[in-house]
Amino acid sequence: MTDRRAVVVWAQVAAHAAAQGRRVSVADVCAVAVSSAQLGGAWVVAARGGGPDFVMCVTDLVGEQLAEVQLTLGEGPCHDVLASAGPVLAGDLSEAESARRWPGFAPAAARLGAGAVFAFPLIVGAIRAGVLGLYRGSPGPLSGRQFGDVLILADAATVMLLDGAHGGDGEDGIAVDGQAGDLALHRAEIDQATGMLTVQLDVPAAEAFARLRAYAYAQDRRLADVAGDIVARRLRLHRDQGQDGGP
Amino acid sequence: MDTELLSDTFIELADTMVADFDVIDFLHLLTDRSVALLAASAAGVVLADPRGELRVAAASSEQAELLELFQLQNDEGPCLECFRTGRPVTAADLAGATQRWPRFATAAVQAGFRTVEALPMRLRDQVIGALNLFGAGPGSLGPADLRIGQALADVATIGLLHERNVRRSETVAEQLQGALNSRVMIEQAKGKLAERLGVDMDRAFTMLRDYARSSNRRLTDVARTFVDGASADFPPAARP
Repeated sequence: MTDRRAVVVWAQVAAHAAAQGRRVSVADVCAVAVSSAQLGGAWVVAARGGGPDFVMCVTDLVGEQLAEVQLTLGEGPCHDVLASAGPVLAGDLSEAESARRWPGFAPAAARLGAGAVFAFPLIVGAIRAGVLGLYRGSPGPLSGRQFGDVLILADAATVMLLDGAHGGDGEDGIAVDGQAGDLALHRAEIDQATGMLTVQLDVPAAEAFARLRAYAYAQDRRLADVAGDIVARRLRLHRDQGQDGGP
Repeated sequence: MDTELLSDTFIELADTMVADFDVIDFLHLLTDRSVALLAASAAGVVLADPRGELRVAAASSEQAELLELFQLQNDEGPCLECFRTGRPVTAADLAGATQRWPRFATAAVQAGFRTVEALPMRLRDQVIGALNLFGAGPGSLGPADLRIGQALADVATIGLLHERNVRRSETVAEQLQGALNSRVMIEQAKGKLAERLGVDMDRAFTMLRDYARSSNRRLTDVARTFVDGASADFPPAARP
């Protein structure tokens, strides 16, 4: 197996940003999701207080209303994904199961014109960054390929939200081309290093992860290599180090 | 062969209809019992991720986990061949397999293993992953052990694919993502505990798992609470 698909999808995000003449952001992730998974629209909600509570980006008016109505009702797929830590795929909101599960949201979404809603948690282990929401006007499930692509896009959005939330030149540090494979294949050491940095730097996991990425970016090293050095105890980060991307 | 443990294991692996079912605990049961029942020194499970890659979901030891990761990172090894073909792959002599898998065979021998078996986790046409059995002694598992290993993998596969019945609204794909995220959480918790106590990752994992067992909690929940920092003096018995 290779990480080729992830590299292709991340490149699409970078290309979309470049075509707009701007730096990469969650708006590009949403736009690529809409075109590659044939959706009506997409939105990203940040989870600043643990639950979804701040709309970061929407592609259209229906998407915005779907995001807002879930915040207002405190109910819906975007709430459920942060509890289950897996995606919630409601391919047909008119099914009885949806009405039973979301008595407020399901009819509201139908009135707004959504036939299907999919929500993906933007999380890395215990770190909760937010939710990627998607909708279709007519019912229908995501195909296997679309599901895989959206998972990759959700990873990209997660990293962007975390980098953006923890200072530094976050958006520049995305390094879209270089880190997609790292995030997938060398995961265990990156996650272990993140856990170690929570102690070394005395910060929450979300910040430890952002600092790890910022350090790798500033040193122009692969994230997996830096993580490997930390796990092997060849490298320690200090509180005043890595904050702005380097010592 | 401990036949009582064997029958208990089949019953436990088939019993996925319980309310607090957890994929990660379930797969650890599979790896641990594979080691306890068969002539294997370590075991690991990889699962297919819809992102287009395999991910390590559970391992009986840090060494087994590293060897699984090594195969995924280097794109070579029995586990990948088994997953791609959907058929068992046997390496009865890893030292003699350096042409077939130059990097993996060398790494596995260095880690102290001499044999490896990769058994598909498959239901009809759907291959969802692979169970790997690593042996430190000479000679591969006998045919009886291999049949039992495959039966354990089969029962676990059916259990996982039927698990959606428990939480009706969730499909296997949704569940699997939650499980893979749990794996990430466990790695974060291992790192935090290893750094705090100055122990290695293997020791950290054992401590987390022992604590989960003794407090009758899911490993995933223990890991989440610990990484979130909600239990400052965790684990209580683990003070050096």
